[in-house]
Order: sequence, then structure tokens, then C-alpha cells
Amino acid sequence: MTFRFVSRKVLGSLATLLFVVCFNFFLFRVVESDPVSALFRGRNISQQQRQQLQHDFGLDKSKPEQFVRYLNQTAHLNFGFSFETRQPVTSEISARIGRTITLVGISTLLSTTIGIWLGIIAAWRRNTPTDYVVTSTTMAFYAMPDFWLGLLLLAAFAESFRWFPTGGIVNVGSGATGLSHLVDEAKHLFLPGLTLTLAYLGEYTLIMRSSLLDTMGEDYLTLARAKGLRDATVRRRHAVPNALLPIVTLAAVNFGFVLSGAIAVESIYSWPGLGLATYNAIRAPDLPMLQGLFLLFSAAVIVANLAVDLLYAYLDPRVRTA
Amino acid sequence: MTGRRRSVFVVMLALGIALVAVAPSASGATKKNDIVLRVGTTQDIDSPNPTVGALVSSYEVWALQYATLTDKAAADFKTIPGLAESWTASNHGLTYTYTLRKGLKWSDGQPLTADDVVYTVNRARSEQWTNFDSTIAHITAKVIDPTHLSLTSSIPDPKLPIMDVYIVPKHIYEKVTKKGLASYKGLDGIGSGPFTLKHWSKGLSWEMDANPNYWRGRPAVDRVIFRPFTNADAMVAALKNGELDAAENVPSSSFRQLQKAKNIVGVAGQQGGFDEISMNSGAGVGGNPALKDLRVRQAISHAIDKQTIESRVYNGLTTVADAISPSANPEWIPKIPADKRFNFDLAKANTILDDAGYKDTNGNGIRNMPKGGADITLRYAERSESPYGAPIREFVTGWLRKIGIGTSVKVYNDTQLTPAIGKGDVDMFAWGWVPFVDPDPELSYFQCNQVPTKADPSGYSNDASWCNPTYDKLYKQQNTELDHAKRVAIVHQMITLMYEQAPYVVLDYSPDFQAYRTDRFTGWVKQPANIGPVIFSNTSPSYFLLKPISKASSGGGLGAGAVIAIIVGAVIILGGGGLLLRRRQATAGERE
Repeated sequence: MTFRFVSRKVLGSLATLLFVVCFNFFLFRVVESDPVSALFRGRNISQQQRQQLQHDFGLDKSKPEQFVRYLNQTAHLNFGFSFETRQPVTSEISARIGRTITLVGISTLLSTTIGIWLGIIAAWRRNTPTDYVVTSTTMAFYAMPDFWLGLLLLAAFAESFRWFPTGGIVNVGSGATGLSHLVDEAKHLFLPGLTLTLAYLGEYTLIMRSSLLDTMGEDYLTLARAKGLRDATVRRRHAVPNALLPIVTLAAVNFGFVLSGAIAVESIYSWPGLGLATYNAIRAPDLPMLQGLFLLFSAAVIVANLAVDLLYAYLDPRVRTA
Repeated sequence: MTGRRRSVFVVMLALGIALVAVAPSASGATKKNDIVLRVGTTQDIDSPNPTVGALVSSYEVWALQYATLTDKAAADFKTIPGLAESWTASNHGLTYTYTLRKGLKWSDGQPLTADDVVYTVNRARSEQWTNFDSTIAHITAKVIDPTHLSLTSSIPDPKLPIMDVYIVPKHIYEKVTKKGLASYKGLDGIGSGPFTLKHWSKGLSWEMDANPNYWRGRPAVDRVIFRPFTNADAMVAALKNGELDAAENVPSSSFRQLQKAKNIVGVAGQQGGFDEISMNSGAGVGGNPALKDLRVRQAISHAIDKQTIESRVYNGLTTVADAISPSANPEWIPKIPADKRFNFDLAKANTILDDAGYKDTNGNGIRNMPKGGADITLRYAERSESPYGAPIREFVTGWLRKIGIGTSVKVYNDTQLTPAIGKGDVDMFAWGWVPFVDPDPELSYFQCNQVPTKADPSGYSNDASWCNPTYDKLYKQQNTELDHAKRVAIVHQMITLMYEQAPYVVLDYSPDFQAYRTDRFTGWVKQPANIGPVIFSNTSPSYFLLKPISKASSGGGLGAGAVIAIIVGAVIILGGGGLLLRRRQATAGERE
């Protein structure tokens, strides 16, 4: 990998990020809104207080002035204060980021590994009952809206069987420590994690299956078998590594989206992550929060894309010279 | 380690690390025998700082954390002693002198004196604290001695001697500058009420501990844990399976079903909230000229069948209403005389419009402005954020068509609707209000000076753009009338006048749906008596009065042992299945 190749990719990503920074400012101002009135409707505040709030929020300045101020702040990594809570946007985000990474990160990891595994089984045993069962089951879960699947699991396992809690992250106030605390967290993570894992399994299974089927027609596999290699070895050493390339792209992009959270599932299981924070911020609209959140989401996707570009160049030498 | 085993190990390790990472920091541990009340709600707090927060859930925190100088009776909001045990009026009702209880203490043991009260009132006035200003804008406080203080109002103030602002601890707040106050987190947890905030984990829970120094004594409940749910159905499930003892803001769709559940009582608590159809009455910017005509607004009032909306849209869970409700206390709502009521009567509505000269001159089924003017087509705004927005619009536009009034519908979210109303882009919409206990704030919204203007289309509260000089005059009178009975009479007169002028068609009084378990605590109190909610009421007296029935404090669900057993079982089954597959694969390979 040449230095030139890497620097070109990095510069490209930086340019995209810069564009996003500017775009974010205008995106949330396209629809006209009045955050002060929206946040303070039905509250007994005087005209003077209203003006003071407009001033505190920086909304009394013209759009170009607000834009310059926003750029200047963002350049200094200052994302401002949330209109709603008056706390720094960075602290609002950092309070939630761990939860989102846990839930969406673990489910993405699980759906990727299990999906790849199921895809391999389905392809290797194509047109057998195993293939039909795997493909149709994962397709069924993929076709279900995640909020619906989440509600079903909640109704079954939290409401009827009472095996798992109805939401949240831990049993609040239980004061549990050590292993029992970990078990408590695992109990809370189980249903939302299962929902997301099942919902995204199909994507990986199908892509892995079709990619492996393509590879299986290749001459070098016939050669490998002709050499007398065992079936499992042919698959592990020769077929799967070559079939993994499309999955790498999909997984990397999906990991980029991990930070954006999963609004529907977070909301069903009262899992206070970044997805919910975004939803709440849109309502006011809490402009500084939205700008901060969207910058973070875009940056995550841009970094993931950059990673996949570089990884591809490493995995597939043809890309480097292209 | 083979490749597959290694990847399984890595996944498990990542899982473990992530779980440890997500653990909320320093949550206060509950001792085994602590009596814990668990309350579910659909809203997190925005800020526990009483000079910043705005949400109902934040008010619940302050109502528990801060005792007020005067308190309100649970039954009827009557003014009763709070931190002050007595008070006397002087100077023609402009000055009140309060005597504090002896030996008052903050939850941290510091003495609570007249100095704290005077500090709060004077600083809130000079810095215009958001949640305080409307109460104390004209009041100056003075310390007489540690247990005596005086409040003097520069104008006659009928709200006195009531002083329901949250008294903050001077020894904490004096360290916070005026500039620093807006971003002050308010997590000090030092208060004078029955419970004080111990811990807040955003989006997850907030926990309040019993205050041993509360002037009424230590509550029987040791700790209250609030859990905000983003899925109200999950909250209902948590109440049913015993994870919760009470729930606020139960969805109306599951309310009836909850009422039938074992050990659960549903409460439809009225605290003054009402829903209305608002009509742009033309005193502001824009608006359809037809609605400026009182007769058109009255005809529309006759054309809206509140009974049908109540039974078909609200499922019979609300109360059909005539006039606005300016207070959580029903004594402020007048009875509209039968001869003044706009009963549902489409024929009468048509007659009124015919007599007023709005005829359908071009024969398209829609009435025209007099002298062959334009069709009367009203711009109806449907609120996307209300679950009732669409069905109400469906009914209302249907009835309007029957009296020859056309509508063009546009859907708005609340954020977009607010400026659209101010700019006069909307003629009609359905929305609602929830008033305070004193009627003054709600009444103030309908003054002429609250109508949106071209210069300031966002600085308004009068969302019907309705201006009536008589109403304004009466508003000023009630605002300074110190005789309670006379003030009530003036307020009744104002509301009746507003009803006749019909800028609003008030549909119903909308309750707050709550539910609580009967097998854990007794002593739930409704505020006001019989009709009010049991929690999230104005001063929320229930929490202090609750007594436990049994000591069991953990909710339903499985114990840790059973869960470990399930996980182990699942691993064995999955692992066994995996091995089986492997074996079959191996033979398949060999066969080839």
C-alpha cells in the first residue's frame, strides 16, 4: 500500500467530513422552527424571559452570524449546550454512547458471526432441507419490522413468562455487585439484543450464501478437491476466505452505523442510547444536540468507509493499483 | 485453540467488557430491608435544577425535594401551613409576615432559616428565574429574625399568602453565579421536602431518598425509584408483573384493561387539562376573514358534536366540557347557563350562517363570503404528535362540510405548528392546555397583548388570536382582587365571556391516566379529592403518606440462579447442536 494511496483516501474522508459539518447546520434549519416556543409552551414565562432565552440560545442573531459562530465552535471541538438540558452536548452524548455501543455493537457482532456461519451452511448444503430452513427462517426475521419483533418478544418473555425485565439497563437500586450485577445486565440486554440480532441476521446469511455459491463454481475449488482435500478444509481454506470480501464491506458499513443506535428497539426496551437521544432532540428541535449527534454519526460512517477502503487494499491487491 | 473457538472466545470477552462498561456509575445501593417504592413514567427529567427544568417529571422531583413556605391541602388545594406555621397580613394585604416552624433543617443537617427563604425570593426576582418569576416578580422579601420574615408586594396580589416557589438552600446556591446557574446540574440533593434526589442516571432512573429532617417527620418509604419508559406498553407490563408499584401516563388504550387487572387500580386523574378546537379569530396576523365574524365561530360551535368525539375518539375516558378550565381546582370553572350553550345542532348552525349572509352563491356546496365573495375554506392543521389528531380532524371537517364550510388539511408536528400559528398560516387546529393551580397564568394567555404580531410572530400565547377589551379589563381586576369570592366571580365572568365569543370550542377535560398496585402500599391520596391523580399531582402528597403492606421489595422475574441455569442450558443445547452438525459435516466430507 503506497503512502499516496493512503493519503488520498484520508484526504477524501476529511473533505467529506468538512462537507458534513457545513451541511448539518443547514439541514436542521430547512424546516422553520421555534425552539424557545416549542420548549416553553404552556409555561408561564414573560416576554423578557423569552428574549433572554433566544439570546442564550444564540437564536437572536442572523443565520450567517450563527453559522460563523457554529463553525468557529466546532473547529475548537466545542459543540455547545443542549437547549433542553443546558448541559454540554459532549457530556449528553458521552452519557449514552456506551449503552448504544453495547447494545448495537454486540448485536451487530453476533448477527455478523452467526449470519456468516449460517450463510456458509446454507451455501454448502444448497437445495437441502437445511438450506431451506436456514434461508427461510432468516428471511422471515429479516422481513419483520424490528419494532414488531421487539414487541412480540417483549410480550412473550417479559410480560407472559416473566423471564426477562421489561426494559432498562439494570435492575435499578438493586445494589448488586460482581457476578450478580453482570447477570442482571445480561438479563436486560438479552431481549433487545436478540431482537436486533435476529433482525439483521438475514442480511449476512443471504450475502454470505450467494457469495460462497459464486466461489464454489471456481476452478481452484475443483482443483482443491481433486487434490483429495477434505470437504471442511476446502471450505475453510479455499472457499470461505474468497467469499468473505462482500461481507467485509457490509459489516464495516454496518459497524459505522452502530453509533446511530437503533431508535425503534431502544424505544421499545427503554434503552436510553443515542438513537433515542436523536429522536428527542428532533422534537424541540434541540439544534446543538442534533448537530453534535449527526456529526458523530457521519464521522463514524466515514471512518468505517475509510477502514474498509484500506482493508480492501490489504485483502485484495487489485484495488491498490486501480 | 481453533479459529472458531477463538472467535467465540473473543465474542464472549467483548460481551463481558461491554457489560462492565455500560454499568451506571455509583448508583446508590438499596439495603436489603429498605422499603422501596418503584414508579414508572414515560418521561425522564430534563434538569433537576429548579431554575432550568421544564418537564412535568422535573416538577415531581421538586415537589418532593423542596418544601414550600405555604402548602396546599390534598383534598381541595386550600392553603395550609408548610415551612411557615402561621402568617399575618398587614399594609392592606400588601405585606405578609410569616413565622417559620422551630428547628427546621435541610436534609444535610444545616439549619433552614428565614435567610434561605428571603435569599430565594430576592435572588429569583432580580435574576428572573424561569419557574419562579411569575410568582415573585413584584415581591420583596425581608428577614426579621431567623424564624420570621416578611414579603411585600408592590401591587395587590391575590395569590398571597400562598408562596409555592421552591425554597432553595442558600448555602448551596450562593456558590453558583448568575451565569453558572443556567448550566448548574442541580444534583446537590439537598432539600427540605420528604425525599431528596440521590442519583440520576439519564434515561434510566432517578432515585430519591427519605429525608430524615422533613418537618412532618421521616416518610415510611425509604426510597422512591422512578423509571422512565420510552414504551408505555412495556411500562404497563412492568406494573402487571410487579416490577413497578405505580405508573404515570398509562396509555388510554390499555387503561380499561388495567382497571380489570388483579391487584391494580386505575386512576383517571383530573387536574384541569382540557382539549380544544382553536379558531383564528383574526386579531393577529392573517387568518380567514370569515372567522373574524362571531356568528361564524358560533355556528361552528354548534356544528361540533363533543359527545361523539368523547365516545368515538377518546373511548369514553374523558369528560365532555363546555368552557376552558384555568386551574387544577374545579371551583374556578363556571357553569355555562343552558340558554347560552352551543348544543350540537347542524340545522341551527346552517340557519345562523344563512342569516349572516354566507350563501353558496356559486353552487359548489361551499358557502361564499357575502356579496359573492370567495369560498369559505378553512386551513385546518392536524397535529401529527397527537394520537387523536387524525380522528378529530376526520369528524370536524365532516361536520363543517355539512354546514357548507370547506377545509384544506395540512399535517404539522408541534414544532412547525407553533410558528405557523403565529404567522397566521392556520385557521383551525385541535390542541390542549394543562393549567396551574392559580388561574392567573392560564387566563393571562388570552389577553390582547398575547396575540401574535407581525413584528414578533413567535412571542405569543394567545393561539386563537382572539382579542376582547372586556376580557382584558376583567383580567386586570381579578389579578388584583384580594377577596377570594369576588375573584372567583370575576374569573367565572371572564370564562363565560370567552365561551360566548367562541375562539375555542372546548371538547373535553382530559385526565391523566395512572395506575397503582394495591398489594404493596396503602395510603394513596387523590389531589384534589375524588377526581384527582394520586401521583404527579400538584404537591404529590401520596409519597409521604404511603405505608408498606409487606416488606418484599424485589419485583417479579427470575432469580439470578434460574437465569444462569437457562443460559447454561441454552449453551449446552447450542453447543450440542453445533457438535452434531460438525460430525455430520465430517461424514459428508468423507463420503465425497
